[in-house]
Amino acid sequence: MVVPAVSASAAAELLEREEELVALEDAFAATRRGEGRLVFVSGDAGIGKSALLRAFCSRQEDAARILVGSCDSLRTPRPLGPFADIGARVDGSLGAAIAAGMATPKVFDALVQELRSAEKPTVVVLEDVHLADEATLDIVGLLGRRAVQLGVLVVATYRTDELPRAHPLRIVLGDLATIAGVLRIHLDPLSPAAVATLAAPQGLDAEDLHAKTAGNPFFVTEVLASGNVDVPATVRDAVLARTARLDDTARGLLDAVAVVPQLTELWLVEAIAGDVLGALDECLDSGVLRAEERGVAFRHELARLTVEESIDPHRRVLLHRAVLAALRRPASGRLDLARLAHHAEAAGDIAAVLELAPRAGEQAAAVGAHREAAAQYARALRYADGLSMVERAGLLERRAFECYLAGQGREGLPDLEEAIACYRAMGDRQKEGACLCLLASRRWCESEMTAAAAAIDEAIAVLEPLGGSPELARAYSAASSFAMNEEKVEAALAWGERALELIDEADTEALVYQLNTSGSAELLQARPEGRDRVERSIELAEAAGLEVDVGRGFLQLAWIAARTRDFEWAGRLAEGIEYCTQHGLELWRLYLLAYRARMELDRGRWEDAADSLSVILGPSTEQPLVRILALTVLATVRTRRGDPESAPLLEEALSLAAGVDDLQHRAPVAIARTEAAAYAGRSDLAAAASDDVLALALERGAVWVSGELAFWRWRAGIVEACPAGIAEPFAVHLSGDWRAAAARWQELGCPYEAALAHADADDPDRLQEALDQLGQLGAATAAATVTRRLRDRGVRGPRPSTRRNPAGLTSRQVEVLQLVADGLRNAEIAERLVLSQRTVEHHVAAILDKLGARTRAEASAEAVRLGLSDPS
Amino acid sequence: MPRYVVERSFPGGLAIPGGAEGARACLTVVERNTDEGVTWVHSYVSDDGQKTFCIYDAPSPEAIRKTASRNELPVDRITQVRVLDPYFYAQEIAVRAR
Repeated sequence: MVVPAVSASAAAELLEREEELVALEDAFAATRRGEGRLVFVSGDAGIGKSALLRAFCSRQEDAARILVGSCDSLRTPRPLGPFADIGARVDGSLGAAIAAGMATPKVFDALVQELRSAEKPTVVVLEDVHLADEATLDIVGLLGRRAVQLGVLVVATYRTDELPRAHPLRIVLGDLATIAGVLRIHLDPLSPAAVATLAAPQGLDAEDLHAKTAGNPFFVTEVLASGNVDVPATVRDAVLARTARLDDTARGLLDAVAVVPQLTELWLVEAIAGDVLGALDECLDSGVLRAEERGVAFRHELARLTVEESIDPHRRVLLHRAVLAALRRPASGRLDLARLAHHAEAAGDIAAVLELAPRAGEQAAAVGAHREAAAQYARALRYADGLSMVERAGLLERRAFECYLAGQGREGLPDLEEAIACYRAMGDRQKEGACLCLLASRRWCESEMTAAAAAIDEAIAVLEPLGGSPELARAYSAASSFAMNEEKVEAALAWGERALELIDEADTEALVYQLNTSGSAELLQARPEGRDRVERSIELAEAAGLEVDVGRGFLQLAWIAARTRDFEWAGRLAEGIEYCTQHGLELWRLYLLAYRARMELDRGRWEDAADSLSVILGPSTEQPLVRILALTVLATVRTRRGDPESAPLLEEALSLAAGVDDLQHRAPVAIARTEAAAYAGRSDLAAAASDDVLALALERGAVWVSGELAFWRWRAGIVEACPAGIAEPFAVHLSGDWRAAAARWQELGCPYEAALAHADADDPDRLQEALDQLGQLGAATAAATVTRRLRDRGVRGPRPSTRRNPAGLTSRQVEVLQLVADGLRNAEIAERLVLSQRTVEHHVAAILDKLGARTRAEASAEAVRLGLSDPS
Repeated sequence: MPRYVVERSFPGGLAIPGGAEGARACLTVVERNTDEGVTWVHSYVSDDGQKTFCIYDAPSPEAIRKTASRNELPVDRITQVRVLDPYFYAQEIAVRAR
């Protein structure tokens, strides 16, 4: 019954596609050599993506094993739909893994096993990944990252006209942009010449045809097939003109197929339209429908949508009802819940929606398709008026949770508030308190700290009178975590003790969370036992399969390592990034990349830092803190290199941190802005950028933050006493002892700061050394200052010793002056201070200059007057 | 895409061989640039060949630095610029005068 495609459409679909076919064949040739590829084929609807792949696959049919999976246009797609398609076709464990609702990494393992099992090279075709569910996209990402090693050709198509800025597929595309073995092919519309070739046999006006269709091959084909002499104005008119030429039975069949997105299985066609084989042949002959391996489909999804919209609404509902009834007794015996829920809603069958949508939600959640799960619960909630309060509250809670897991936490907040109201109305205090605690955590995630604190206070007030309970333990834990994140270390540890008293050892999740929080708080106070606690939480979480908590453990360690310049930890960071990649913890991975970039900056690896940042700063990263971390590091790289466009990055970071009061958000912005102000020599801007954050850092005992701020404020020319209790290398540096500071920075592994310390020396040899170090780092901004100082010796940038000593002398110059006053000659001074005689000459010249003295004797007298030397 | 002027110094003087070899050298640079989405529009070279001012279209300063290091070209300074065309204003004045 497979009918050859109509020649006119085949011709139009493959015109001007030779280059693209060759590109696909090259990719396949690489695969046959053992080097896999992932090729994205993109273009507008109707541009001929599927046709290109059909042509490619038919050429490789003998040489390759071809596995095809499609994402479907159900309003809420089937989780892992395309891989379920593939699993149904092969014998291995893939189908079983998906049917059993295994988590994405397991499904990926089963897929890899399947792909490696064949003797022939394998080609995997994934159609319409712009419609893919979250779990499918995770797997596409994994396939891309390992494309070369897997030795398989994966071709994924997507529609560019359905890809808004924040589309999840864009994250995957951005992530894979720089990965070897990942290619892109974009399909352009037909040229006027190609359209003219097609129009000629029917005598159509080629120019008109090209203008109206914009060279879209599908549209062109529909016009040609409609047999009209005039070109219809829209693609819809063209499709309907074509179907109008079919007889009534065939049109009835077409309607039935049109209400089923994508493919309609033959058993389903029979179940809803009866014995219509004759009509089916007519539809296939006319080219409106296409025969597939497992059923029939419209030649193009655009045509299906057009026909579906043209069905009279009442008849459409009846058809959906028939499909729903048929899908409840599927030929395979396995219920497809996402499809059932879709048709239940379209059929207006409320009871069926309430039965099927929550089950579809559970199924989606189980495989990690959280966006789809949330959409299924929302579908049920649209019809939940008749449900009891308990049922309603349960659905609300589940939807809020799935929104959170899908990274759309804000959308779930009203649901949680409604659930809390339900429990309060029912008088269920325990559940009300538990939900309040959840709400607090979610608000925290959305950077609504004040509202979060209010909710957690309320939760504790509701739960405490009910006695010790796991819910109360969780509320204490949340309060502890909030305090830790605000770096109120004492409060964090106190709440943590209360929580640990209540947490049952068997409740691994609660224990892991609190160990992480308390350990992090201790590390913030530089108490080393904190590390053991966090490491233990990671260990326990890993053993219990609590992936998010493992990610959180790595996240905290990375934060504190970056904060305290603990670079020994870098190896563990790579492990954390790999873990998050493997387990689809996208946000956690971005955090780790951002902290890695910060550490790369501090270790003088600026190019690596910029590379890490390009991944994070894709258009889809919305999380404010991740963006702040990335923006500030990139701005600092640009400022230090003397490159343009750092100001707009800092402005964005500043606006993202507005209204947030913790150091995690505010410190990176304040530090980067103060540093920029320092290079510009603007003490006023440095003060405006850092006054309040410095005060906050000192109050919280965040010694590295206060140290770095004090350091850049000093370099910006702010005259103030060095604050007590800042991190030691900064304190040494600010004391003016550049030698000790340089040694300390070198030991820590911070070459930029070490070079800046050398640049504080007066000795030209040292300055030259500093200049070399800055040159190696690419630090053009600081290098320019040193070059200037070398050029006109004696004129120097502000340094604390300069300011603290009379007459603007540096501490080294004071030393030299004292020896001059003691009557020593330059050679003797050089020997005493372990300097070259030339350096001493420079110092003496500068001293005379600064003191306005003409001779050494005048300078000695001035030294006595300034109290630097005793009268002899 | 932003446009940049990239200043480079060649203390020994810049020497691009004539003929096919020079063309090949330039094309290699152009090809490596495309990896980062960087387009080399054209350059001005000082008479002594020691300094060049290169006009680039690029997504970011980092992309320019990356391709520069791949092409083993020095970078002194990157400045973002916009076109100012005196004749554009001249035309406008002419229109107003009419």
